Amino acid sequence: MKRGVGGTSGPRHREPRGAKERGDRVTEKNRETANVGAGLWKGTGMWAWLLHRISGLVLVVYLFAHIGIISQGHVQGQAAFDRLFRTLESPVFVLLDVALVGAVLYHGFNGIRVLLMDIGVGIRGHKTVYYAVMGAGVFCLSLFAIAALSFII
Amino acid sequence: MRQEVIQERAGGMWPWLLQRVTAVILLLGLAVHLFALHIVNLGSLSYDNVAGRLSSMGFVVVDFALLAAGLFHALNGVRMVLLDYGFTGGRRTVLTIVLWIVGLGAFGYGTWALWPWLTS
Repeated sequence: MKRGVGGTSGPRHREPRGAKERGDRVTEKNRETANVGAGLWKGTGMWAWLLHRISGLVLVVYLFAHIGIISQGHVQGQAAFDRLFRTLESPVFVLLDVALVGAVLYHGFNGIRVLLMDIGVGIRGHKTVYYAVMGAGVFCLSLFAIAALSFII
Repeated sequence: MRQEVIQERAGGMWPWLLQRVTAVILLLGLAVHLFALHIVNLGSLSYDNVAGRLSSMGFVVVDFALLAAGLFHALNGVRMVLLDYGFTGGRRTVLTIVLWIVGLGAFGYGTWALWPWLTS
């Protein structure tokens, strides 16, 4: 995979060692082989990247749903908007809301790790940084879950 | 040939940079947004509650920053996913144009959605 560790890419991307040694040019196949050899496309980095992509796509769908729901204030008026929000405070929706916050926190905290790697921080110890940001994410999620608890049970 | 495919899939420098800039805006903006809406005002969200927040310029700025940065980050993210699945050459250009139309349309619709609160 061209994106290497955990979704980082762009101008600062360096060719993995061995990518050029296996041929005159950096072909896709060479690059993938080199990445697997360097251990970039397996283990923690792979799951970090995959979950980043999945949570990102979930958040894209939510963003458009969010714009649609908030627009009901203009579309249907105040009374309908307030009725809609009473529905959204039912246990099922609050539980979904906590899951959504979880997706935001995962994407955001792993994103911090990606941004740090882009400026050259924590490339060697990317697994340690991953577990550190995930710990911070779980801590934040627990605060949101406690705040939401009275609406769920 | 292969080399060109790799470069086309990389997405370009400006989208890459803007994805990082919007990421930072979203990290800061969402910290405010999530704290205000999912902790402080949880359970008291209503038309008047939103009106109260949008009467302060600070929340208006945060909301529009989140709308613009969120749409760019989301749609460029979708673009980066699709570029991994064979959108090259002309199809890539069409994809980018379509996503810009979707994004600008959604920004316009989002502004329209907030209009009653902004003008009351």
